Amino acid sequence: AAAAPRPWKLFGAMCLLRLPRITQPLQKEEEEMEALMGQIELEKSCYSDHEIRKLQEEEQLRRKKESIDDDDDDRGGGPGKTVIMAQDLEEKWEQKFLRFEAAPRVTDADRNNTRTSLDRRLDSNLLLLVKQKIGSQDLWLLPQAEWQPGETLRSTAERAMATVLGDHIQAKVLGNAPHGIYKYKFPRAIRTEDNVGAKVFFFKAFLQSSDLAQAELKRDYLWVTKDELGGYLKPEYLKKVNQFLLD
Amino acid sequence: PCRAQPKKKKKVDLKREQAQKDRMKKKIKKLEKAAPEMIPIEDFVTPFKYSDGSRVRSLPPLSFEETERRVLLLKKWCLFKQKQDEAEKKAIRTLMEAQQEALKELRLESEELYEAAIKRDEGLFPFERDGPNYTPPLPGYDPPEGKCIDITKVYTQ
Repeated sequence: AAAAPRPWKLFGAMCLLRLPRITQPLQKEEEEMEALMGQIELEKSCYSDHEIRKLQEEEQLRRKKESIDDDDDDRGGGPGKTVIMAQDLEEKWEQKFLRFEAAPRVTDADRNNTRTSLDRRLDSNLLLLVKQKIGSQDLWLLPQAEWQPGETLRSTAERAMATVLGDHIQAKVLGNAPHGIYKYKFPRAIRTEDNVGAKVFFFKAFLQSSDLAQAELKRDYLWVTKDELGGYLKPEYLKKVNQFLLD
Repeated sequence: PCRAQPKKKKKVDLKREQAQKDRMKKKIKKLEKAAPEMIPIEDFVTPFKYSDGSRVRSLPPLSFEETERRVLLLKKWCLFKQKQDEAEKKAIRTLMEAQQEALKELRLESEELYEAAIKRDEGLFPFERDGPNYTPPLPGYDPPEGKCIDITKVYTQ
């Protein structure tokens, strides 16, 4: 196979995904269903120990208010005792919960729409795009590198990723097989018998480390979601990439 | 006279001991043959203290509109889930087709690359991932300290 000249040039491209860190917002039907499930669970359940205690204390309070004569006798019996009511406990827990502040789901990067940051759109997949020079044009595409004889396509894709992001990147490549292919023919000016066009094989990888401070990013890069891809990629390329990208 | 008595003791004792050993062995065999006791599943057994009816919640009965609303919501949910499932299956199918197409093209190119691509990736499984939470991690958060004592009952057969 090495003897016959191949008319197609081979490229390996890496589709690096940053997986979502927070859950997606619920849709209307899901919210309604969640409320209904909560109601049904409440109806089918029995009283817990805490609730029984609360009910009993409410009974006692009501009885004390109605019959004030008994109240004085009780007070005389144990002046030093402070009884913690279930209601007080609940209020204490409520206060503690309100004091806690969780990290916001919509980050600063979201508000400023800084597409180079990884903190944007924490609820969806982010894909890495780089600006590379193909022929005479500067195009936005997935990082790719030309295949060299002696290496597998997967290592080509990994090399492409390393040239863009540096060697210390931790990504889990999903298997040895390519997930998609984009075939294109060179414009007639460059096309020869031996060099008809190029085939770009896409590999998928998940980004493991969330901190890319060590990465040496030499070129223009962007982290975009699947719906934003349309603004950057060419239509044919976009069609092929969309086939193997799950939302 | 001295010789006869010890001999009798030895024989009788030996026989008694052997009979005892046989009886013990038979008992052990019987116990082993009996089926092992089932390990009780604690979730399926309601504890005794909850068996009286004093804990039943007292709520007003559901109105007709409420039951109607619930039935309609369940039907809408059924449709929603069906559409979601179909969309997922379609996405997986396009994924598989794209991969098959890529492998076909690769085969046309070179057999050796194809063989290398077909090989199983040993490092891929077991694949672990921390699922998405409701809020992103808070930087510099100090969780309260405490010790967790496990009191689950472990049964052995």
